[in-house]
Amino acid sequence: MLESILKKPTAAELYMRLRRGRAGNIIVLFVVVQALAILCGIVFPGNFRYLDQGNIQLMLKAIPSLAITALGVNLLMIAGEFDLSVGATFTFTALVMAKIFNAHMPLGIAVLAALALGAAIGFLNGLIVVKTNVPSFIVTLGSMWFWRGIILIISQAVTESFYPSAFFTQLFTLNVGPMQIQFLWALLIAMLCWFFLERHKVGNFFFGVGGNRNAASALGVNVGRVKIIAFVITGFLTAFAGIMSTVRINSISPIQGEGLELQAIAACVIGGTALMGGRGTILGAFLGAALMFTIQDILLLLQAPGFYLRMFVGIVIVIAAALNEMLKKE
Amino acid sequence: MPDTKGSRKDGARTPYIELKNITHDYGAVRALDDVSFWVLPGEIVGLVGDNGAGKSTLIKIISGVLHPTRGEMIVGGRKARFDSARAAMERGIETIYQDMNLIDVMDIMRNIFFGRELTHPLGFLKVKEMKKRAMDVLEKEITIEGIRSPHQRVGNLSGGQKQAVAIARAMFFKNQVLLLDEPTSALSVRETQAFLNHIMHLRDEGLSVVIVTHNLYHAYQVADRFVILSHGKKLADTPREGTSAEELIKIIVGN
Repeated sequence: MLESILKKPTAAELYMRLRRGRAGNIIVLFVVVQALAILCGIVFPGNFRYLDQGNIQLMLKAIPSLAITALGVNLLMIAGEFDLSVGATFTFTALVMAKIFNAHMPLGIAVLAALALGAAIGFLNGLIVVKTNVPSFIVTLGSMWFWRGIILIISQAVTESFYPSAFFTQLFTLNVGPMQIQFLWALLIAMLCWFFLERHKVGNFFFGVGGNRNAASALGVNVGRVKIIAFVITGFLTAFAGIMSTVRINSISPIQGEGLELQAIAACVIGGTALMGGRGTILGAFLGAALMFTIQDILLLLQAPGFYLRMFVGIVIVIAAALNEMLKKE
Repeated sequence: MPDTKGSRKDGARTPYIELKNITHDYGAVRALDDVSFWVLPGEIVGLVGDNGAGKSTLIKIISGVLHPTRGEMIVGGRKARFDSARAAMERGIETIYQDMNLIDVMDIMRNIFFGRELTHPLGFLKVKEMKKRAMDVLEKEITIEGIRSPHQRVGNLSGGQKQAVAIARAMFFKNQVLLLDEPTSALSVRETQAFLNHIMHLRDEGLSVVIVTHNLYHAYQVADRFVILSHGKKLADTPREGTSAEELIKIIVGN
């Protein structure tokens, strides 16, 4: 045992150690896809513009909204629940922010209202799930339709513009090297999520509650409260992602964020998060979201028609899930 | 011969737990009928009886999972009415059930500390300290065959190893009373011996242990006293000294 640690590991051993790690599959998958794309970008710089600065910037802009939403959904899935209403929450909270701001209220109040609303929607979802014992899949399906309806009522199906102060805009769109600052926001939130999940007591409860609900309860953990906390975090992070996206494009359309709930779940599943709860990593969810955009980008660069994109994302989800099943059995 | 009335004869020591005339009904079914039960500090009690005797019900009442229909419970000299398993744990009563309440997706260290994590003031985990203490338990208190690191996932362990982790967890939080529900059912012969040695070691340190078991021979190796239940009634309450295992079995099957 000790010898194997002291001995310098071979490349094969390093690879096996990586594969056995909790986020092993997604790291390997991500690196392979990136390496292939970069290689093609070097070999065919004229045809496959993967390494063009413009392309890299575009990708780094696209990732943060999904990544931040997926981080919240990931925490919730680890705690054993789903949230299908994040797409609606994303749009509704941003719309409320824009409406408040456009009614000449202070920006700070508009932003705080949006974040509080996101958390409140999460709280309501969680409370209904915990009190009624109806599966969260159903509760949040209802929640999704409900908030989508409210969105249409208050927006009158019209896109709302949002032009906040220059300072606030810079907070999310300032260029830092090849990326916009919002990518750094996503990294920061990922790190906070990691500390919470891996180094905080309540994060630890998420794994326990999702992994073995009865045991967690018998060991004195309030399962309902833990689940509600997970829903609140998901709602809050989704609202944050919605605000960020709205600042970037200066408007919020009522159909924005449609399908985001499934994209977020897909990112988590690709990243190795278990549908039944108890398993998942922050790195996995983040790379899962990044991988979805990488594949999208590669297909666009290959000038594949748009509908190929969904096909490929579909294939990747199934392959990633199959790899994770294999890892579980090892 | 065994005393069947259940009056307490050991006047010298006060029981840590005392149940007085407990009756428990599940709807129309009477699971316990006027049973009195106590555990002295530093005593191992074997709670034995056939299926449906009421052993599990009695354990569940002591561990805070069930409220008795009638009767009272005194713990540590105070009247007790536990609202949850947590409340019982806080009064020093730790239970290991047959299903062990382990979380398969987590490693050994996190299982040992689950629900009672060592934390900094804001709730952040003291991972290094938990790891060190978990190592200590695994190396000194209960050595588990085939376990090298507190970071092994519990889901990958054998039934015996899992049971040992559950026992290590219970031992780690030095409680006054340990309730064990069929503790040896998933252990190998060697693991069973190691386990029984640990139990005696804990008694020598002043801990009380209640072992619920079908396997009278395992209990007979360690128990100081036997309480035999049958159909919800206390049939006998007898010290091991002066009673053979065969006599005990006769009482269990005899009626």
